[in-house]
Parts: sequence; C-alpha cells; structure tokens
Amino acid sequence: MTSSALRTALSSATISTFEELGLLFPADGAAPARRGEPLVGGVRVDFDGPWRGTVVVRATAGVLATAAANMLGRAEPPAEPLRRDALGELANVLCGNLLPAVAGRAAVFELGAPRWLSAGDAVGRDVTGDEAPAAALALELEEGRVEVTLHVTHAPVERAEAP
Amino acid sequence: MHFNILIVDDSAVMRAMILRTLRVSGLPLGEIHEAANGEEALRRLRESWIDLMLLDINMPVMNGEAVVDHLRADPETADLKIIVVSTEGSDTRVARLAAKGVAFVHKPFTPEELRDTVLEVTGIRHDQLGAADGSVVGDHLDF
Repeated sequence: MTSSALRTALSSATISTFEELGLLFPADGAAPARRGEPLVGGVRVDFDGPWRGTVVVRATAGVLATAAANMLGRAEPPAEPLRRDALGELANVLCGNLLPAVAGRAAVFELGAPRWLSAGDAVGRDVTGDEAPAAALALELEEGRVEVTLHVTHAPVERAEAP
Repeated sequence: MHFNILIVDDSAVMRAMILRTLRVSGLPLGEIHEAANGEEALRRLRESWIDLMLLDINMPVMNGEAVVDHLRADPETADLKIIVVSTEGSDTRVARLAAKGVAFVHKPFTPEELRDTVLEVTGIRHDQLGAADGSVVGDHLDF
C-alpha cells in the first residue's frame, strides 16, 4: 500500500470516527482564538496481526473536553479521567476502522488497551526506531485540533502481480 | 418481563453511551450491571441473573472472544444472549462470533442499530417498548 493510500485511509477513518462518535466535525481552519493551541496529550493504541504497529491520537484541550461531553450527552465536560477515557475510545474505534481499510476485511487484529500519552511523550522511536510515521494527519475540528499518526513495525510483503 | 443486562467494556464512557441508548430506547430494563473486562464480567454473571450481555471484544485481562468461549463451554451459560458491541472490522472474526450464536453491533453505532439488535436477540416486540428505566448495580457511573 502506498503512503498516499495509507494517508487517505487514515484521514477517512479519523474524520468518520470523530464525526460519528465524538460529534466533532472538520473545520476549514483554526479559529483565530484557537491558533497555536497546544496538544495537551494523546492516546496510543497498539495493534497486532498481519500488520503490526501503533495508532497515536493527540488532541487539544477543547477537543478532549467537547468529545467527552458529546459522547456522554452532557452539556458540561466531565472530569479529566473521563476525558482521557473518551479519547481512548475514539482512538480505539479509529484504529478498528482503519485496519480493514489497510489490511482487508478478512484480516484479524488484536488491539491493545488505549494508553495515555503526556504532551511530550514521543512514540515513534520506541515503536519503530524511527520518528517518521507511515502516515500522519493534522485535522482542524470545530473545537480544536487533532493529530493522528500511524506507525508500522511490520507489514506483509506485497507481491508484484505476474504479467 | 424486564431484562437484566450486563454491559462489558473497558471504557466507562462507552458503557455510559450504551446505557443511555438502552434507556432512551424504552426497552423494558431490569437491573443494569457493568464490568470493565472479561474476568469481571464472569464474576458478575456468577453473582447475578443476567438475561443479556453487551460485550466489547478488545479489553484488557480477558477479551470478549475469550468470554464468549468460556460462556458457551459452560452448560449454565451456554444459551446466554450475547451482543458484541465492538469496533471489530474483521469479517473473519465477526463470522466466527456469529457461528457461536452471537449478534454483532459495530462501533460507532446509532441508537436505532443497537435497539433493533436488542429487540431481535431478546424477542421484545416494538409494542412492548415504553419509558422503562433500570437501576444500575455494580460499578456506578460517577460523572
């Protein structure tokens, strides 16, 4: 699978997950008040199957708070542990929706429990020995920004079709 | 008849979403129990009468597929109604679960998808739906 195709799959899985589960929708660009807002943390979900690797989802404070409130059907955001839990569930669903697009619907994967990452935690190097992810996406949402990366440590060798 | 339901998911937020969907659907709910992993689910089953289990697949300690295998192997729980509510995207695994008599709802789900699957699995008719509510037993959601 080409890096372009991986990014397309990552983008599609990210947008649909945040829209359908988090009720957060893409915005044309960052609102002036939100420009430069830092990512406050994130979640990693490891997967193991025909492909092995990790999906990382990082978010700004506004995304964390609003996604959790939306998912719980509440007007006010819940406490921090439930905000992290909500982002973990979003990352879990995103990963689950991404993998069939990458590896096909017959492939079976085991997904690890979502693990919280602080703002400064690097993931790429300890997963792949290389900071560069296989695909990366920065997405502006109405309530802030998310950054999603796909790190692959093993992928099946693609065979060229016989002429 | 009211149904006692066990919701098994390692995400407290997802358990709350499922519970809210069940309540707004007007299903005749009895006691609602919760568990955060497979082992806890099996413990709840030993402690309480459960009519229907809503079960995630990817969980720590014991995953959902292992729970299904455990339940189906035990004559006392072999016939328990189970709906897997999961992000699982593998047709292979979904078919494997279906062969074990398990229904499947894909995350993210709409309230209608979950309600209709519950109706199909339990045999509750639409005209039996009302404003029924349930009491939460076990791990109370602390929002």
